[in-house]
Amino acid sequence: MILMLMLGLGWSVATGGLWAQAEEVTRERAEYRAWLEDAPNSPLAALAQRRIASRVVLGPPESDIPLPGLEPHTLEEGRLVRLTGPAGRRPLPRNRLLPLGPYRIFLSGARGRTVVTVYDSAPRPKSLSFYPYDPKLIFTAKLVPPKKSGAVRVLTVDGVEVEATEAGTFRVPLGPEGVDLRVRRIPDAGTEESELEIYFRDETNDEGTYPAGRFVSLRPMRDGRYVLDFNRARSPFCAYSSVYPCPIPWSGNAIPAAVTAGERYEGGGLEVPKPGRP
Amino acid sequence: MTGPLLAMASVLGILAGAGLEGPWRGVLDVAGGPLRFTIQIQPSDQGYDGRLCNGSSCNLLSAIVVRDDSVRFEIADYAATISAVLRGDSLVGAYRNVGNRGPRTIPFRASPGTWPVTHPPTDLTGQWEATYQYDGRTSPRIFEFRDTPGGLEGTIISNTGDYGLFWGVTEADSFAMAHFDGSFVYMLTGMLDGDTLRGVFHAGLRTQTAWTAVRSRGGPYLTPPTELTTADTTAPFAFAFPDLDGRIVSNTDERFRDKVVLVDVFGTWCPTCHDAAPLLRQLYDAYHDRGLEIVGLAYEVTGDPSIDGALVRRYREKFGLEFPLLLAGINDTELAAETLPQLNGFTAFPTSIFLGRDGKVRQVHAGFYGPATGPQHTRLVADFHATIERLLAEP
Repeated sequence: MILMLMLGLGWSVATGGLWAQAEEVTRERAEYRAWLEDAPNSPLAALAQRRIASRVVLGPPESDIPLPGLEPHTLEEGRLVRLTGPAGRRPLPRNRLLPLGPYRIFLSGARGRTVVTVYDSAPRPKSLSFYPYDPKLIFTAKLVPPKKSGAVRVLTVDGVEVEATEAGTFRVPLGPEGVDLRVRRIPDAGTEESELEIYFRDETNDEGTYPAGRFVSLRPMRDGRYVLDFNRARSPFCAYSSVYPCPIPWSGNAIPAAVTAGERYEGGGLEVPKPGRP
Repeated sequence: MTGPLLAMASVLGILAGAGLEGPWRGVLDVAGGPLRFTIQIQPSDQGYDGRLCNGSSCNLLSAIVVRDDSVRFEIADYAATISAVLRGDSLVGAYRNVGNRGPRTIPFRASPGTWPVTHPPTDLTGQWEATYQYDGRTSPRIFEFRDTPGGLEGTIISNTGDYGLFWGVTEADSFAMAHFDGSFVYMLTGMLDGDTLRGVFHAGLRTQTAWTAVRSRGGPYLTPPTELTTADTTAPFAFAFPDLDGRIVSNTDERFRDKVVLVDVFGTWCPTCHDAAPLLRQLYDAYHDRGLEIVGLAYEVTGDPSIDGALVRRYREKFGLEFPLLLAGINDTELAAETLPQLNGFTAFPTSIFLGRDGKVRQVHAGFYGPATGPQHTRLVADFHATIERLLAEP
């Protein structure tokens, strides 16, 4: 009985009433805004992102990645990624924010295809806006298993290539006939966590939302079904900064209706950021 | 940063009186339901000391900062915090650490008191062979469930080690047990269905992996820890790293000549390594006079000897370790593997490398089954003793 009560409490917190849902979305947006404004790895602090391929030079003006105030440094990818600079040569760990002069760098992506992202000392300001909360754009359904399972390389929200798995399709009653949206499991490096994500396009693209489309994560319910809440749709980082490549739209995920929920796009972010204090 | 904040916290707010002291029933509201743990808070010279507990296993909080009716629990090792405000007699807030694709935030709540103790049915206790299923793939795990005075405890074991101690509750044929140490957010929920156990493994806010399990038949199910990592056995195992005073210690030093050597690859950030340290001390005490040497190779977070050295020194003092601990590198599996080129398939912290008197590798044991794994731990301790006895007896 105790367990039932406790499970019940969790249940109401997780899926609660509409009012609680709206409040939760408001809270999530505030958290996201704070992360964008403050986090050392905020996309608004990003100065450059590129695949190392074999070699990337950072520092002087003629470098691959010019960074004022930084002595010449070279990143090379063989079996490991190594950094060579005035202090010598050393291998670098992945998925960790590392100081480099006045900047920070982060290595992510698959081995052999490592991507380096360079961050400035502080994020620059950017306004963020959302459609009003719309409870009609929340859907609950089962995830239909994929016809063919398998792994696929896709760019995720931060422009980094990951090996995702096909997780199935999720049907939403939008447009004249409804649409089956492709769902992929996006792993989080170094943890057992992953997200079931949908990268979708709809008729608001370029008419209020980012032209390339938006991401939304499925939220599991206790009965095996999932919730797709378009109020939680967010732009890929390429909407904030031209540093980030935009993921290619996923085939089949074009919704023939205007999804007027979630994050809006008010332009900007397409100029190349200059290093230095914002 | 915490020093001045703590000073500022002094005795300002409602919580700063006696309000925070004692046990709290903590909950992280992950998508799969409430993930339960305990926060133990005691007064200290600086304000409060606290621990995050899963049943009988606890981790120290690095700081507790109180201001008016809000509190922040800091978990410095993982750059994570739990912040909450007082609502009635409960705390309501969020657990946070920084993610790379957005904030990693999980709702948190706590109320004063201890969790009720529920005892698992005997149909549940013991060892199970589980299969995780996701997106058409499968992956093996061992589950271990025990009835303890505090209720259900257990762990999950994978090919590279265990996930630490889980604590939980049972109700009829259902159970929910969790491990939250400030970084890893894991919960296992399930239900007996005849001879089969079915359920979900929850990671973080909303990752869910379905699994089924059957009673362990006693045979091998996971890849044995001695088969995960192999080694070059043709030449003596070579290492040369600075000790905590900056002196290079190498396998050719006099102290290792003609000795059986246990090389412990560890990190102070690694909870399982903390589980292993007391056993290393016991082995050293028991066998050092007969010719066993132990050397710890620390792979730490920063690579900066002054910072890493302080952490390793504290670890040495905490466990009373008398053998040398060397600063070998940073805690990245690939980078660590590169400093030990004679190992193949190095994946796990800790890894125990047993060298014969000729300095060559006799056995590599990946991972460590901590006390939370019960019989697995007992078996491992016996295996370590047997291996050392066997190597000491070699001519």
